[in-house]
Amino acid sequence: MRALGIDIGSLSTKAIILDGNHIVASSIIATDEETELSAKAAVDEVLKQAGISLDDGVFIVSTGVGGKNVSLSQQSKSLTTCLARGVHRLFPSVRMSIDLGAESSTVIKVSDRGRLNDWVNQDKCAAGTGIFLQQMAKLMQMPLDEMAGLSLEAKGRADITSTCAVFAESEVISHVHREPPTPKEDIVAGIYYSVVSRVISLCKRIGIEGDVAVTGGVGLNKGLVKILEDELGLSVLVPEQPQLVAALGAAVVAQESIDKGVNG
Amino acid sequence: MTVPETERSKISAIMRACRVINRMNQANPDAPKSEGLYYKMLSDYYTRLLNAHDEGKFIAAHTVFFPSEILYAMDIVPMHTEMTTWMIALFLGGQAEILSAGAELGLVPEICSPHRGLAGAFSLGALPRPDAMLWSNLICDNTAKSGELIMEMKKCPGFFLDHPFQRSETEDKYLISELEDMIGFLEGKSGRKMDWDKLSDIVAKMDRQIELFREIGELRKAVPSPFPNRGFLQLLTVDYLCPGQQDAIDYLEALRDELAEMVREKKGAVSPERFRLMTLFVPPMYLIGFMEKIGREHGAISVVEPLFTRWAEGRLDPSRPLESVAKKAAMIPERRSMYGPLGQEALQDLIDCAEQYRVDGAVYWAFMGCRHTCATVKLFKDLLNEVDVPMLTIDCDIVDPTINSEDEIREKLEQFFELLEDR
Repeated sequence: MRALGIDIGSLSTKAIILDGNHIVASSIIATDEETELSAKAAVDEVLKQAGISLDDGVFIVSTGVGGKNVSLSQQSKSLTTCLARGVHRLFPSVRMSIDLGAESSTVIKVSDRGRLNDWVNQDKCAAGTGIFLQQMAKLMQMPLDEMAGLSLEAKGRADITSTCAVFAESEVISHVHREPPTPKEDIVAGIYYSVVSRVISLCKRIGIEGDVAVTGGVGLNKGLVKILEDELGLSVLVPEQPQLVAALGAAVVAQESIDKGVNG
Repeated sequence: MTVPETERSKISAIMRACRVINRMNQANPDAPKSEGLYYKMLSDYYTRLLNAHDEGKFIAAHTVFFPSEILYAMDIVPMHTEMTTWMIALFLGGQAEILSAGAELGLVPEICSPHRGLAGAFSLGALPRPDAMLWSNLICDNTAKSGELIMEMKKCPGFFLDHPFQRSETEDKYLISELEDMIGFLEGKSGRKMDWDKLSDIVAKMDRQIELFREIGELRKAVPSPFPNRGFLQLLTVDYLCPGQQDAIDYLEALRDELAEMVREKKGAVSPERFRLMTLFVPPMYLIGFMEKIGREHGAISVVEPLFTRWAEGRLDPSRPLESVAKKAAMIPERRSMYGPLGQEALQDLIDCAEQYRVDGAVYWAFMGCRHTCATVKLFKDLLNEVDVPMLTIDCDIVDPTINSEDEIREKLEQFFELLEDR
């Protein structure tokens, strides 16, 4: 029996197959309007990569925004539980993990057994999320990768509000159009700082301790991670594919169920 | 003077809702007797209010945690403003209308929604015009300011009852003198005299009520716990609306007996009982049905509410009725954590509750309009962590459903249940 985890995010759906401790295959696809279709596509892709079919015996655990509505899965678990399991599998020393997703930021505390000890999230406003950064990239008329690189060259930091995505947009426009205009790299650094300051406030709310990891698609943004490290005053651990961590955690939960002999 | 039609319609609708629930209960042979008594008590309270002016009685509107024992003793009809506003919201789903009317008075969303709502309800004419407005600083500044606003809106006389923060002989005397002044004010305005014998009788009954609250609290320590999630709000209603009243005692005795029987039979309010929760502050009132449902689905039950159901030690003395009314104000559960400095006694009680009630986790409903209470979120969380009780904080509003969706609250609670299960 293989363990398969699916994480349905608002922008992308991820799937991972585990065989014991081994990651056999992984897939990332854009999330469709229909959760079920996204889940099926991600599962088909990962099964194809692994060279197996559902008939070969697969235990599926789903998580994420539409995780409960996936008919393919035998179990669903909350994102926070899966993040804790996934981070622990990759970095057993981590006690706090920051998940920067497309539509929400979540900070979790992880026990030495990979269990969720506490969490806090912000999901009331786009400020501090991946979608906010995408909007800012459009406004700055440059790809996200370029923005990340540019921020590393910043000598200053533009003041951007950390409380509201809509206000932040107006502020960026005013920085671009003022005379003389604020340097682009400083504007980008300011945008990232506004995200980071929200995230750090979440971290402090549950108490920063132990090694810290960053997961979620925004974890790929080196410029933002650098500012996060500077503000936290410590180095953070970022997996090679940070957007896959929740799917990995779901697969770990599936593996635990298989080990316990649980049938869907 | 008769009650205008708009006012009648809202109060009548609350009464009708209570009667419908009672008829449904009567048709259900398994419905507990206490449920019938509870809704009859509510219906009778609002019938008295609705008929008060027709019967030539004096209506005194009062804010929460007000000693309405004195009103009952003077044959003055009390109108609990926050509770009546909550009832309009709960039974009639009228939150949007009353909160919007409150906003039109310039009351911003950061102000406590029951207070925005009660001002809105008066402005809409949804509550009977009071003959006097009584209010106090127990338990917050919103309470203290609401009274003045209503006096101005309804052009009625009013009295502010000043409660001291701390308890000492001097402060007790001060509160008693305040109560005497209030009685003088009410006698002057209503033309009714205080009936001291009646007040003694009410104090004796209030003492009995407090004993029953404590007995019910003890029964809830049982595993599994026999008391349903919605029961907590019913206990609050009893004390807020009918202190020292026979119908309240009848309800509480019936409830106590039913719970005792369930404990003897080892029956829980949810089965199987998986998560024993401590409730801090109050869950959104408009989600009472949802809380019951999610409790049953996950085997989650609120076993103790330290801020609202833990009465301080002490007895009331009917031979000293006014002193007893003052003493009760110091014994109410809400006072310990929500009024004045947060003492060691309140913090120790939290730990005692966690241990005595075998709590698995705590849920702090951080009501954004009650900022002075929410200042305890971190203190309580750290304290409970010390005894290995995780605490979930849910930012919410207890009346306004636009702040959180049911789905959002479900997601947070289910994550928390997973956390508890995983430990």
